[in-house]
Amino acid sequence: MSTRSRLLICLAALSLLHLSVACAGFFAPYDPAAQDREHPYAPPMALHLVDTRGGIHLRPFSYAQSLRAGSFDEYDENRARVIPMEFFVSGSPYRVLGLLPLRVHLFGGGDGGTLNLLGTDEYGRDLLSRILFGGQVSLLAGLIGAGLALSIGLCIGAAAGFLGGWRDEVLMRVAELFLALPWIYLLFSMRAFLPLAVPPLKAFLLIVVVLGAVGWARPARLVRGTVLSAKERDFVRAARGFGATGGYLLRRHILPETASVVLTQAATLVPQFVLAEMTLSFLGLGVPEPVPSWGNVLASLQHYNVLVSYWWMYLPVLAMVPFFLGYLVLASLLQASGGPSKIEEVGSGV
Amino acid sequence: MIAAAICIGVFFVCPAKSFPAQANAGEEPLRVAGEVGKPGGRIVVALRAEPKTLNPLTAADGPSREVISAMQADLVHINRASQLSEPALAKSWKVSADGLQYTLTLRHGLKFSDGHPVDIDDVLFTFRVYLDEAVHATQRDLLIVGGKPIVVSRVDAETVKFTLAKPYGVGERLFDGLVILPRHLLEAAYKEGRLAQSGGLGTAANQWAGLGAFRLKEYVAGQRLVLERNPYYWKTDEQGNRLSYLDEIVFLFVPSADAQVLRFESGETDMISRLGAENFSVLSRQARDYTMADAGPGLEYNFLFFNLNELGEKAPAEMARKQTWFRAEKFRQAISLAIDREAIVRLVYQGRGTALWGPVTPGNRRWANAAISYPGRSLDKSRQLLTEAGFRFVSGENGEQKLVDADGKAVEFSVITSSSNADRAKMAALIQEDLKQLGMRVQVVPLELRSLIDRVTQTKEYDACVLGIASFDADPNADLNVWLSSGGMHLWNPAQKHPATDWEAEIDRLMEQQLIATNTAQRKKLYDRVQEILTERQPMIFLASPDILVGAKKTIGNFHPAVLEPYVLWNVDQLYQRNGAENARQ
Amino acid sequence: MMRFLLQRAGHAAFLLFGVSILAFLFSTLAPGNYFDEMRLNPQISAERLSALRAEYEVDRPTALRYARWAGALAHGDLGFSFAYNMPVAPLLWTRARNTLLLTGTATVLVWMLALPLGVWSAERLGRPADVALSWATAVLLIIPDLALALGLLILAVRSGWLPMGGMVSVGFGEFSVALKIRDLAWHMILPLLVLLLSALPVLLRHVRAAVAEALEAPFLRAAEGHGISRKRLLYRYALPAAAHPLIALFGLSLGTLLSGSLVVEAVMGWPGLGPFLRDAILARDLYVVIGGVLLSTLFLVAGNFAADLLLYWVDPRIRAGTGR
Repeated sequence: MSTRSRLLICLAALSLLHLSVACAGFFAPYDPAAQDREHPYAPPMALHLVDTRGGIHLRPFSYAQSLRAGSFDEYDENRARVIPMEFFVSGSPYRVLGLLPLRVHLFGGGDGGTLNLLGTDEYGRDLLSRILFGGQVSLLAGLIGAGLALSIGLCIGAAAGFLGGWRDEVLMRVAELFLALPWIYLLFSMRAFLPLAVPPLKAFLLIVVVLGAVGWARPARLVRGTVLSAKERDFVRAARGFGATGGYLLRRHILPETASVVLTQAATLVPQFVLAEMTLSFLGLGVPEPVPSWGNVLASLQHYNVLVSYWWMYLPVLAMVPFFLGYLVLASLLQASGGPSKIEEVGSGV
Repeated sequence: MIAAAICIGVFFVCPAKSFPAQANAGEEPLRVAGEVGKPGGRIVVALRAEPKTLNPLTAADGPSREVISAMQADLVHINRASQLSEPALAKSWKVSADGLQYTLTLRHGLKFSDGHPVDIDDVLFTFRVYLDEAVHATQRDLLIVGGKPIVVSRVDAETVKFTLAKPYGVGERLFDGLVILPRHLLEAAYKEGRLAQSGGLGTAANQWAGLGAFRLKEYVAGQRLVLERNPYYWKTDEQGNRLSYLDEIVFLFVPSADAQVLRFESGETDMISRLGAENFSVLSRQARDYTMADAGPGLEYNFLFFNLNELGEKAPAEMARKQTWFRAEKFRQAISLAIDREAIVRLVYQGRGTALWGPVTPGNRRWANAAISYPGRSLDKSRQLLTEAGFRFVSGENGEQKLVDADGKAVEFSVITSSSNADRAKMAALIQEDLKQLGMRVQVVPLELRSLIDRVTQTKEYDACVLGIASFDADPNADLNVWLSSGGMHLWNPAQKHPATDWEAEIDRLMEQQLIATNTAQRKKLYDRVQEILTERQPMIFLASPDILVGAKKTIGNFHPAVLEPYVLWNVDQLYQRNGAENARQ
Repeated sequence: MMRFLLQRAGHAAFLLFGVSILAFLFSTLAPGNYFDEMRLNPQISAERLSALRAEYEVDRPTALRYARWAGALAHGDLGFSFAYNMPVAPLLWTRARNTLLLTGTATVLVWMLALPLGVWSAERLGRPADVALSWATAVLLIIPDLALALGLLILAVRSGWLPMGGMVSVGFGEFSVALKIRDLAWHMILPLLVLLLSALPVLLRHVRAAVAEALEAPFLRAAEGHGISRKRLLYRYALPAAAHPLIALFGLSLGTLLSGSLVVEAVMGWPGLGPFLRDAILARDLYVVIGGVLLSTLFLVAGNFAADLLLYWVDPRIRAGTGR
């Protein structure tokens, strides 16, 4: 299979994954903020096809669970109460891409029961819904943050490489300054320094801006390197000899050279930034309640009792794995098709 | 025969650890009632942070105070279990008829932990230092009664007299926590003006002394602080054996509650206190070689309050509008009725707590106003109150209900809470959801504690806040600064020059009266009225109070947790290891 | 050669200076300061608070405070911690030592594993063994270190084999040296494992790629033709040729010795620099924050500088002034 077709398959898979998260409202059975105070820390509900009397149901179903008397987090299955799984149910309202209001969900619990396929958190909120909606926040943060960092990096790197001279020196020194800072402390300091009484949307944007502001240096260096070498290429010199202006050169000849570097960087930066957002949210510095993010759905695992008693709170990790895998494969495929400069991006970790 | 001889021989060769010397002649130790324990052994306890200092004058943080409480002693002490005052370093005291003079008599033969004898000059020096403005002792405020500092004078070699400007309702409880300092070690530093710098953690063990059950042994930065038994301690048990039983206390610095639970569970620490309810359940379920105890409701009360400050001209229009909502009593009462306190107790405290309607928790047996009771949650009543207050319910964009004020503006505000306190963050999230049922959009903003306090007391830039106060004593005076309108802790509108409302003025009056009243029944009546006013007007919407949850290894004897701080170590001089010396090297 | 060294050294100094200003500015602009917590304690008077504030000069203008601090820094004094009431330097030093113990061991182990594995893998490029290894590293790569740390912690908790968190057991001070080492090692296993598992895949890939590329070079073919043994070929010829990017990576490894383990330390309760700085940032303990950030930056800069030196020594092209 050629690299190109592999690339296409990978992109298709990633798009599908992103689509499922973008349409979280449809795939998630419940509102991620809806609390169910009678069922905090409820374990995942198993789906059955065969009931206690041996009868086979066409539709998968589950048994209702309720708190054991006198306990606050131990559940007993109530075999008398059957909750069938129904498809295309009408549930809590949501908007697709923030525009189209809909109420239809892929599945839900019939007979007035709730189906918590992955269990619930400390407020009784459905974990599956929170994972899907959380993906929206984390992925978006990663994508926009990476976009921002790449844009800034592209501008600065191209300017430095193209203009050369003292401007190049200055810009690269500044970039090195940012590279020299331990990024995680920088992230923390900036986050702690910014005013905090902001609505979730603003908090999210702030995080994204901070990520972009911290992460532009490496792409800038790589772009600069490419621009520098492109500048010396014969066809560019020829064009210049023909009287082409700087702008023209940049647009027509040089920037396209940077495309492969930028794309590869994108595929590497997005998961890094998603991870950065997750770390921030995990440590409590990311998006606020009740908005879920992959980081803060894992945050409760910092508590010993959760670690010991509620294993399903670890499941969000499994949800993230396909995404990281997709980006990893994408990055390596892009590198393979991109060119020889792959080793330069040393330390794709931090 | 031979076997018997060997047994007897062994018995003599390996004696059980002998009790430390009985009290010397000329000493007048305090005989403490209670189970007699075995000497030897040590306990390991976790502190949530390193103490900042060992100096009682400057210690402000919890860990420092906990360590200091084991190393120092006061003239009169409040027994944490009975919540009554009892003689400590002072063997007796007399109060004059007008309540203005307290005459305390010191015990004979007291010695500091380095062997230096105690005399009345140490007491005089101590109070001089407490009252000296240049020293800025944290205790100075407690010694200002009726606007004037207490006057301390020497009567004879063993008696000291305290003269107050006005009678003080608190009485001799005032002396609890005012520990007696060693003049022979600190006078030089005091004269040179560097008293506040002494007693830092780096102090050498032989340069520091106190009258507590333990003295400093060693300190390892970032890891632990070790105290050893004070051989000159002035208390004995019922049989006359000098306390304390334990040889050592090791304080480990374990910053997170969860790490503390791990250490306790693995047996590394012997006692754990200030547990959250969830960890308590987990530990109780795994019951191995320790006992978990629910000591009952404590003195902590958590509440939601609104920004009722007079912001004047510089308030932005939006804040002014919000404040008109907050100032409407019906608004606050409606919110109070809408909050699901049972859910808070269930989900935050796992049932180990009590819903609060007023500021005094059930843990404060003596001062709670029994007539006040929680009417129960009622969303209908809330909606009715809101309509009466001029608010309207309209339909929002997704079909849900939205609350708007008389001008048609949606009711939205933010609630700030401390990011380090998971319980209060949970309460805020539950409240957010409750108020959504009333059509209000509430945003929870976790702030780092210091930024939060900055906003509440300095910049006044906030809408509402969820906070908690843990009184250090059951007596109403402990929270004087909270109820007085001029108090710095009068959180919804601190440090007022004149009371902003008539009911705040009335509270001021009542609190001042009970301050100088000497009759407890009288004080209770006054304080009952204060509680009534608070529950009527709801400037603070009281939420819930957690039980005091603690645990200790089964091998520890005399474990009797109290609901006043320090919860497990208040009787550290009586704690003992049932296995005695065998536990010394665990 | 001197010129090169001086140039790099001056470069490093400039970075440190710039960073110190940035860090200082960030901290001072943050709202709220340490003494606010004390306000919520009814036993502390307002005068005591203002006395403390005056003592720590919190209200003086920023530029003045920075100048004083920079002057003190020249004497090796990192300032005073408000929170701990003691100088910053010893505080940072204890924590940094703990972190370095962990990350230092991890770095040594990672490189000791990655180099031979990478070379072995590059040699068998495309063959089943290499493919299997690639899959294994891919799996590790996609699991974020946060998840890895949490997962291992869950395992430890459930199985009870390993101590859960912390660096030493109680009574450590009284252990014999051998026992101390054993105790330390026992507590280090989990965090070390996490660090290894998160760093190894990346490094392995790079070593493998670099060595694979070097193996293509003509001079190697020539050497092979000369009959030089396989092992010598790999380690004496291929690896040095692949050194350039690897040395840069090594410099990065050195540089992130202090800052790379924040998440692991936070989750596992290892008393290192990471959690300490996070608390200091939240507590607005100004000088600790600056000291910590500066220290980490120092490592980063020193790491890069060391890499530069190493590269200079290894790569004759730089010495000759051409290339690069």
